[in-house]
Amino acid sequence: MSEPGDINFDDLKPEEFEQYLPELFATGDKVSDDPRLQKLYAAHPDCLALVRDLETIAETARSLFEPEGDPSDKVWKNIQNKLRDGSALDDEADGGDDIPNGLSKLN
Amino acid sequence: MNEGQLMTQAPPPKPNPGLFKRNPPIAGEAEAIEAAKNGDAEAFSQLYSLHKRRVYTLCLRMLGNVSEAEDMTQEAFLHLFRKIGSFRGESAFSTWLHRLTVNLVLMQLRKKGLNLVSLEETINPSEEDAPKRDFGSRDPVLTSSVDRVSLERAVASLPPGYRMVFVLHDVEGFEHNEIATMLNCSTGNSKSQLHKARLKLRELLRNPNPSPQSDASTEAAK
Repeated sequence: MSEPGDINFDDLKPEEFEQYLPELFATGDKVSDDPRLQKLYAAHPDCLALVRDLETIAETARSLFEPEGDPSDKVWKNIQNKLRDGSALDDEADGGDDIPNGLSKLN
Repeated sequence: MNEGQLMTQAPPPKPNPGLFKRNPPIAGEAEAIEAAKNGDAEAFSQLYSLHKRRVYTLCLRMLGNVSEAEDMTQEAFLHLFRKIGSFRGESAFSTWLHRLTVNLVLMQLRKKGLNLVSLEETINPSEEDAPKRDFGSRDPVLTSSVDRVSLERAVASLPPGYRMVFVLHDVEGFEHNEIATMLNCSTGNSKSQLHKARLKLRELLRNPNPSPQSDASTEAAK
């Protein structure tokens, strides 16, 4: 993994520039607006095109956070059954600590 | 003494506001959590109603299969029931629940043979699946807009390793250091995998339906 650091990007070739992209994107800043990269973009418009496409993909991905579908009703029914009969607590390998009381209250 | 009792005696930890940016508290959720810690079935049911969609969607995106996603949603809430007493409010509840779910899904994938211990070796896709280096002519439509449905479809067709890192980072909002911990890899590797995932998505979005003929040509060229 290449670290961008204080590198001079002006004379990089596109394939060299791509090595720095994972780190540049990881800063969280908008890579297309990075002042250190403007000369490179002017010389290689395809680099800017690539960066903008990747930014668009990352921005659109945030919209996927909002869910659209529900699990079927059987999921909750299975959960209820397991909690009622206590089997939910039996198959826990990692201790089963912090178990709340009141299983019988489940509807 | 369990953590639930500790919560009532010690001053609550100061939450980090940054952790709540994507997961703002939901009205009534805090009360439901405290009640569920004490075994209130109605409160647990309320938490299920509040979070089932996001947990299910997360499972579906990571597993790519409805049946497995439903099974894992069930497991996640059963696990939540057992572990809710350890929730201390240091992060948003949904963030905590999502992390719990991600860990369960990863355990499931490991059981199925997808060894995530060494990310470099095991979740890297084959050369065939890897994104092609392409600085060539740009499709102008991609930059102006990528619709959610197209992206969803493209994400579903990503190789599992790429899909995992992309969903965790770009969709769920986990940081690289968190992903590295979950996947037991380096942060550099997480960054690299994410970049490759985005490159692959770009490729898929620009060419969503590669013809069988072009696939055959690619295969023949190897």
